[in-house]
Formats: sequence, structure tokens, C-alpha cells
Amino acid sequence: MREILKRPKVQIGAFILLIMIAVSVAAPLIAPHDPTASSIMFLAPPGGDNLLGTDELGRDILSRLVYGGQSSLIVGVGAAVIAAVIGVPVGLVAGYLGGRVDLLATQVIDIFIALPGLILALIITAMIGPTLLNLVLVLGFVSWPRIARLVRGQTLALRESVFVEASKAVGARADWIMLKHIWPNTMRIVAAQFALTVAYSIFTSASLSFLGLGMPPPTPDWGAMVRSGFDYLAMNPSMSLAPGAAVAATVFGFYLIGTSIK
Amino acid sequence: MLTVIGRRLVWATPNLVLVTVLLFFSVAVFFGNPAALMLGQDATPQAVAELSHQMGFDRPVVVQYLSWMGHALSGDLGRSYTTHQTVAEMLARSLPVTIELAVLAILLATVVSVGLSSMTVCRRLIGTSVTVLSIVGMTVPNFMLGMVAIFIFSVKLGWLPSVGWVPWNRGLFVHMEHLILPVVTLAAYYFGAFSLVYRAEYQAVRERLFVRVARAKGLSEHRVSFHHILPNSILPVVTYIGISLGQLMGGAVVTETLFSMPGVGKLFVTSILSRDYPVMLAVGMFIIVAVILMNLLADVVYTLINPQIRLN
Repeated sequence: MREILKRPKVQIGAFILLIMIAVSVAAPLIAPHDPTASSIMFLAPPGGDNLLGTDELGRDILSRLVYGGQSSLIVGVGAAVIAAVIGVPVGLVAGYLGGRVDLLATQVIDIFIALPGLILALIITAMIGPTLLNLVLVLGFVSWPRIARLVRGQTLALRESVFVEASKAVGARADWIMLKHIWPNTMRIVAAQFALTVAYSIFTSASLSFLGLGMPPPTPDWGAMVRSGFDYLAMNPSMSLAPGAAVAATVFGFYLIGTSIK
Repeated sequence: MLTVIGRRLVWATPNLVLVTVLLFFSVAVFFGNPAALMLGQDATPQAVAELSHQMGFDRPVVVQYLSWMGHALSGDLGRSYTTHQTVAEMLARSLPVTIELAVLAILLATVVSVGLSSMTVCRRLIGTSVTVLSIVGMTVPNFMLGMVAIFIFSVKLGWLPSVGWVPWNRGLFVHMEHLILPVVTLAAYYFGAFSLVYRAEYQAVRERLFVRVARAKGLSEHRVSFHHILPNSILPVVTYIGISLGQLMGGAVVTETLFSMPGVGKLFVTSILSRDYPVMLAVGMFIIVAVILMNLLADVVYTLINPQIRLN
């Protein structure tokens, strides 16, 4: 653990994420204006009272940017939790029991991994409606097979190790071995994939919002801000480029941490 | 070889059936009655029931699925509620746009990533820039990349058209001019991924004995890199292209929407936003089945170019 924290990539990633989390948590204190209050100052250029200008409804872009992190982080982390809650048990059981159970599980995992995540998320979100909870569920549902596949692979290797054999020899049950011996040894790879899943989910939920299927207005949401700002790119570029940069920075932070733990 | 391909196909069939059944049933259950959606909020229950009956939405879902599949397999994918064109026509028109975009993007990403990573001059400098660019390509969402590209090259510099699409028969130059930004935008992610995959393999192959032999023969570093190491390191990139086809479709959806290109992805998003049930169902099915079939194709191609692989 110490050794991981010393890696520069992890430190940069953690630094970015700490800022993002701090800003999102302290949004009510930091934001200079109400993120949903419109005014008659439409599309004001950056400067003066509105540091990043205002959008087409006269809302302060900086305030919306600061608040927008909340939903992105909740969706990202929530989806990764769901993915881990489904993926880890499936992977453990499939890898440890092997045989028919494994065959069935890998078949299902392979089908889901081959399916296009964004397309699937688009269809499901269109059907059940884009609320915060639904986005978390949909993106978690789309991401669990990758975690399951990794855990399964790791479990398959660990099953043959001496400590598992020793545990079996003293009469330990399968669930005990999986929980006490195999799971702790897969935690590192799960942690890495967890961070990557958060990155992927924030990326995908921003794409959904950009396509028009994200959080409903007036909730401040980065992807939706990019979408509406795109029409005014020539007039006020910060309206779309600032939230886009925020998405990119958050994804980058989680990506750095994920790839360097692996 | 034929038995290998045949076995793959047999394996894929139940998957295909399962996926289409899942998609059809969940759409039918969650999406609500299409007749009610068509008639709007003010429709009387009788009118909705009548239209449902007329269009067959009151039949059991299994029957609906079988009849839909039967029609689909004979080329009838239904008719759009909004434009009243057949879905098959709409798909036939938009498919070439998407295929051209996707093929050009994959081609560009492969050539540039493999080419840059195999360069022997200024290896240090190129190596660092490739690392930075690949992380940018993999973490910056493509709508953001595309928008920055539009901002720089269209709004500020005015070199390239911002959005839109022109068919090639109205001039190849104008056609390509409109394609540059979308292709680069879609290729960015794959450039990053291919570079990482290719470079890891390249480093490993460089240590092998035959490379030392090639050098000992007096071949130039450039020739060793492009003629000896490259052919032996490119296989993982081919595999990666195969497994990323699904994701490519997702990227195409975003890119086509951003650049207003009349491709399959744009058609799909439009149909979802306008609740055009037959188009959404048919295009969704089409994309998912196409992705599964292309994965299969990639598997087969992989076994063709790599004789070491024997399927058991």
C-alpha cells in the first residue's frame, strides 16, 4: 500500500481527485451564484461578476461547473460499486467452482463484454428514464462483466496455490476459502478495475448527457453543459470547453490511479 | 479451417438468439405501448386499444417477437413513425457513412500508432509524445476532443468545415474535407489503445534473438524495426481491433452526433429521442447483431493470420 502511494502517477491522480471531491462537497460554499437561477444576462462573456460567463439562460457557468461534479462523481462511484457487487461474486464462484458453472458464467460474461456499452446504456436509459439512480444502475450493469472476468482469471490461478490446498486439507468449506483466502488476494486487481470503472462510467454518463439522455434539467451536469454550450462555441467557448475539461480531468485522475495500481 | 469457422458460427447462434430475445422483450416491457406513444397524451383508451390491435401490439410478446424476426429476416424492418420511410431504406442510406467513418478511423489509428512507435529516429522524443498523446486519446471524451478540434480548426483558424457531411459524388475533395475532423476525433481513442498494446509487444520482440541476428547482418536500424520487429508485433493490435468493435460503434454514435453526420449512430440517437419505436428497435438490433457478427469475423481472421492458434 505504502509503495503504491509513492508512485508519481498515483500521486498526480489522487491530487486531481482530491480537488474534484473537495470542490464537489464544498460546492455550496464555493459557488459564487445559484447554479439553477437564470438571469437576463444571457451568454455573457467571461469576466466581471461571472468568471466563466453565463449560459443561454443566463445561469453562471462557474457555479454550474462546481455543482456538476456532484452528479458525475456519484454516478461514477455508484456504478463501480454496483459493478463490483455483481462482478466479484460471479468471478469468484465461476473461477473457484469451475466446470459447468464456469462455462455458463464465462459464456454470459463474453456476451456482455462483446456488446457495445454505450449503445446498451442508451437503450436502457431510454426505456427506464435518466434519473441519478437509473444511471448508476445502468452503468453498473454495463460494467460488471469486466470485473467478473478479471476476478475469475485471478481465482483460477489462486485455486491451485498451496495455501488453498492447505486450507482444503484442514477441511475448510468452499465459501470460507473464497472469502478468506482468495478474495483478499484479488483485492488489488479489483481496486484497479474499480478505479477504471469509475473513469469509464463518468466518461459514458457524460456521453449519454451529451447525446441528450443524461440527468434531466435543471440539474447542473457536465455532459449536458457541453451539449448546450456546443451551439454557442464561437460566442462563448468556455460554456462547453470548461465542463468538457472537467470531465476529462476527472476521468484522467481515475485512469491514472487505475492503471498504476494494476 | 472451414470446420473452425463452422463451429464458431454454431456457437454464436444461441448467443445471437438470446441477445435479440432479451432486447426485444425488455423494449416491449419497459418502453410502454407504442400505440399510446404514437397517439399522444390526449388519446382515448379506445383509440389506443384499436390501434394496438391494428398494429398487433396486443398479441403476446413471444408472438410479436417471432413475427418481427420473421419479417426482419426477410428484409422487412418496419416503417418509421416520424418519416414514414422503411427502416431498411434508412439503414441502407446511413450505413455507408458509418462504415466509411469507422474504417478510416481504425486505419488512421493503426498506421499512425504503429508507424510512430516503430520510428527509429528521435526515439526518446517520439516515445514521450506518443505516451502523452495516447493518454489524452484514451481519457478525454471524444465529444470534447471533437469540440476542441472544431474550435481550433474551424472557428479560430477557419481551415476546415465545422460540422456536416457531403456525399462523395458532390466532389471527392469536399467530401474528404468534411471527414477529416470526425475521423481524427474517432481515431484518437484507438490511437492511444493501439500504441500501448503495440509498444508493449514491440519491446518484447526487440529482445528476441532474430532481431539480434538481423542487426548482426548489418541491416540498418530502420529496416530491422519496420521489416523484422513490426510484422512480429502487430498481432495484438489486430486482436484489439476485434475486441473494440463494440466500443467503436459507441464512439461513432457520439462522433456522428457531434458532427451531424447522417450515419447509423445518428439515426439511432434521433430515433431514441423522438421515441420512434420501430426505428429504435430495428437499428438497436442491427447494431448489436452486427457487433456480434464482426467479433466472430475478427476471431476467424485472427486464426487465419496466426497459425499457432488452434481452437480446441
